[in-house]
Formats: sequence, structure tokens, C-alpha cells
Amino acid sequence: MKTQLSDLLLNDRGFAFDPVRGETYQLNTTGLVLVKMLQTGMTEAQILEAMQEKYEVDENTARRDLEGFFDELETIGWKA
Amino acid sequence: MSRLPYTRPTVQRLNAGPVNPFRLGTSPSCSEIDGVSVESLANDFGSPLFVFSEKALREKYREAHRAFSRRYPDVQFAWSYKTNYLNAICHVFHQEGSIAEVVSGFEYEKARGNGIPGNQIIFNGPYKQLHELQRAIDEQAMIQVDNLDELLTITNLAKGRSEPVAIALRVFLSTGDHTVWSKFGFNGDNGEVMQVVRRIIATPQLRLQGLHCHIGTFILEPDFYRIAAKKMVGLALEAESLGAPPIRYLNMGGGFASHARLHLQYLAAEHSTPSLDRYAEAICDTITQLWPAGRTLPKLYLETGRALVDDAGYLISSVVAVKKRHTEASTIHTAMSAYGKGGGAVTIAASSKNALVLDAGVNLLYTATWYQPRILPARPCLDAPTATTVYGCLCMNIDVIREEAPLPSLTTGDRVVMHPVGAYNVTQSMQFITYRPAVVLIGEDQQVHVIKKREDLSYVQELELVPSHLA
Repeated sequence: MKTQLSDLLLNDRGFAFDPVRGETYQLNTTGLVLVKMLQTGMTEAQILEAMQEKYEVDENTARRDLEGFFDELETIGWKA
Repeated sequence: MSRLPYTRPTVQRLNAGPVNPFRLGTSPSCSEIDGVSVESLANDFGSPLFVFSEKALREKYREAHRAFSRRYPDVQFAWSYKTNYLNAICHVFHQEGSIAEVVSGFEYEKARGNGIPGNQIIFNGPYKQLHELQRAIDEQAMIQVDNLDELLTITNLAKGRSEPVAIALRVFLSTGDHTVWSKFGFNGDNGEVMQVVRRIIATPQLRLQGLHCHIGTFILEPDFYRIAAKKMVGLALEAESLGAPPIRYLNMGGGFASHARLHLQYLAAEHSTPSLDRYAEAICDTITQLWPAGRTLPKLYLETGRALVDDAGYLISSVVAVKKRHTEASTIHTAMSAYGKGGGAVTIAASSKNALVLDAGVNLLYTATWYQPRILPARPCLDAPTATTVYGCLCMNIDVIREEAPLPSLTTGDRVVMHPVGAYNVTQSMQFITYRPAVVLIGEDQQVHVIKKREDLSYVQELELVPSHLA
């Protein structure tokens, strides 16, 4: 069973509670920003662009890390 | 508007207990070695790069010498060439007062080339060639005989000489639950050593002057040396009682632990590596207590290598790729379910682990087979460390430097520093699919000196020949 990202309980330090599984997670600052973007319904392309505007990161690095992060969320069982 | 510093996004499942979610913390880092920036070292001399601290080498030697010489009147350290025979490293220890301990003709030549006279070279090892033994005898090196064949060879070489050839015997001993290194020398526990002593006494061309043992490597229990020293004193006195001349020296070898950490070692090195004082106490106190009162104590030789050089060596490397290792969810059945009680099955959640590829491989870190080098980022990182697999750059699946190193999220181009790696890695590194890196020494004045250049194609191919029909 997947957990909707909108159901996650987040605090501003990146602490996340998954109410479906009863598990807790720690997001780092970038991870928290990305999950919040996903919760607002932004697309992957929009997030990629927003990352480059917000952080000192080149497109290749941002794309690689974003894809890896989304894979990780998929593995955990979270979906947008 | 200026952009924020970037950190790779991560999410980590929290397990009860070990992680405090409210302490984000920072990861330890190593941005300088002896006051010299890691980034500038990598930029100036390339990555990967071995770095040695002259200050650390000298301080460790002095600590070791102080620990023994304050407890024993006649102590001599011999630098273990095989541990690291870069000439600059050897020169540091020779300047501090070490003689040389070598285990091959090659190392003997290196020591002579470093200005050490033959009579200040301890010649160990299970394979000493005829011409090497001849030279060692001519130059009055301290030959420590490993086996009967060698003894017979020396006997032949000694014939016709005006003075008997002075030799010592390598002995192996049981010292507790540590593996007995029975490959080397003669058995000190079952009478074999005394059989050899009788043979030497009966050979006028030979004179027994010392006994040597080296009980193992990375010995974390100083009491093993107490047992070894007690047995060595017993063997020396027994040899004298059989008619051997007074034993001039006992050589207790090396094997003291550095601040490396073995695989599966639970405690951190800071909590498990004994101080050099504890080894000194075990050895010196035992000999002084057991040696007959009124007799001059035998000279004490020590051949410690790892404990002197390991902590002074670093390997700078760079992250060249970032990966993920996914682990599927699984269910395990505990003893409770096997016992017939419900609820014994535990579901391990799916997870993924960070992984890095470095530009250095295990061909440079031979000791990674037994030890887990500490790996630190060369810049301060804001996020907390997570378990990260660290791969080397070789095209080999076995090239894993650490299965799980606690690291923050790093990205390509980041430098890392591995430590301690000063013992054996340089001497045992192999050239494989790429060039071996340069080695630099940071002087006490923070000047950086190249002590071995990075390899290049012409160096690697220097000894190769192509037959004319293939040219």
C-alpha cells in the first residue's frame, strides 16, 4: 500500500511521519524542500528548474540526484 | 538573488534508538592535514594522493622510544622497511635514531643506499639468497636465522673465516589465544630451539648472540608480550646453560597496533588500541624482573612498524560518481515464530543506501582487506552521516573500500580523506589499470615535498619488451 505524499506529517526540521506505515523518517534540508514541492503538485520538470534557481547546482547533478531521490521515495512506498 | 549551497536530497528511515531526529548535527570532516588544505594538495599534486605527516612520524617515534627507554636501559628501534620503505620515510626514522630491519636482499640494498652500515641492519625473513647472506656476513649485519637450511648455508659461508659469524635465532611462541606465527623461525615451546642452539654451540664457525620473536601483527592485548618476554628470557637462560655465550640481545619484534580499526571490530580505535606505554611495560618489566640479578640486561631491539607509520599516512581521493544501492523489503522469522508463538515475523522495510565511487581503488589500499579506513569528507557538511557504500575505481566487483562508511551526502568532485593508511599500503600497492598516485610528505614547517612521483605510461612500460616479430 502506497502512502500519498500529502498524507505525510512533516515538521520544519525534516522529520516525517508516515501515518500509513507508522514509520518515521528524516529528510535532509534539500529532501524536505523537494517533498514539499511534490506535495504542492509540481511536476518533475518544474522541480528541476526550481532546484537550479534555489541552489548552487548544475543541471546534470540536479537531474541525477532528483531521479535518485524519486527512486528512493518509490522504494519507501511514497507516491505523489 | 544568490543561490543556496547545495546538498544532495536524502531520506532516511529512522530506527528506534540510535538516531535522534531532532539532532540533525553535522558530519566530522578533514579539510586540512597538518595545516595544509586537502583541496590544495589534490589540486597541486593530483587525486588520489598519499600524504604523510613528518610531524606525526617523529612524534610517534619519540613517544615509542620514550615509552621503552624510560623503563629499560638499552633500547634500540629498527625501522621495519617492509611497512613503508619510501626512502624519505626511512630517512625520518633513521634521523630519529632507528637502525634498519629488512627482510630481503632488496630491502638490504635499500637500507645500505640510505646510508645504514651493515652492522646496523637486522636481516630477517624466510628467504635470504646465498649472495645476500655472504654480503650480510661480510658487513657484519645482524642475521636472524629463520630455518635450518639457512643455518647450514651460513655455516658453509663461515668456514675459513678468522672470526665466528654472530647470528640470532628467530623463534615462534604461543602467547595466548592469538594465532601462532609458526611460519617463521624455530618452535620455542617444544624444544626445537634448544636443538638448534646445541648445533650452533657445536659449530665453532658460529656464535649465538641473540634471540628474536615477532608474535604477530596488530596485537591488541599487551599481555601477550608479557608472555613472549617471559618465554624469551627463559630460552636465553636455557641456551646459556647449555654452553652458549651470554645472549647479547633479545629482539621482541613488532606487532603493536596502530589506530586502524579491524573489520568487525566493535570499539573505535581510540578505545581499543593500547598505548605504547602498555606494550613497553609488558615487555620491559618482564625482562627486568626475570633477568638474573647482577647481570647486565641484554640489549632490547624492537622492530615496530605499523604503530609508528600508520597514523601518519592519509589517502586523499575524489568522488567520481554517486549511486544508490536498493534493498527490497523482506520478512524474517524470529525465534518466537519458530517456538510456535505468533507475531514472530519481522518485516524489514525496503531501503536504499547511498554509494560513492572514488578515484582510488583497493589496489592502493591493500590493508582494506583487514581494516576499515576512516573516510572523512574534506569539507564541512551540514547533514548527518548515513551508511554509505564506498566503491573504488577499479573495474572489479571486489573493489569495495567500505561496505558501510558513515558519510554525509557527497557529490562528484568532493574530496575525501582516508586514514590511517600509512602502513603497508604504499609498499603493497599494485599498479592495475591506472597509474599509482604521487606520495607527498608535509614537513614540520608545512612545506609539501613530493617523495614519490605519480606513475606515467613510460614508467609502467619501462621493463616491457616487444619481440621483433611482433613489433
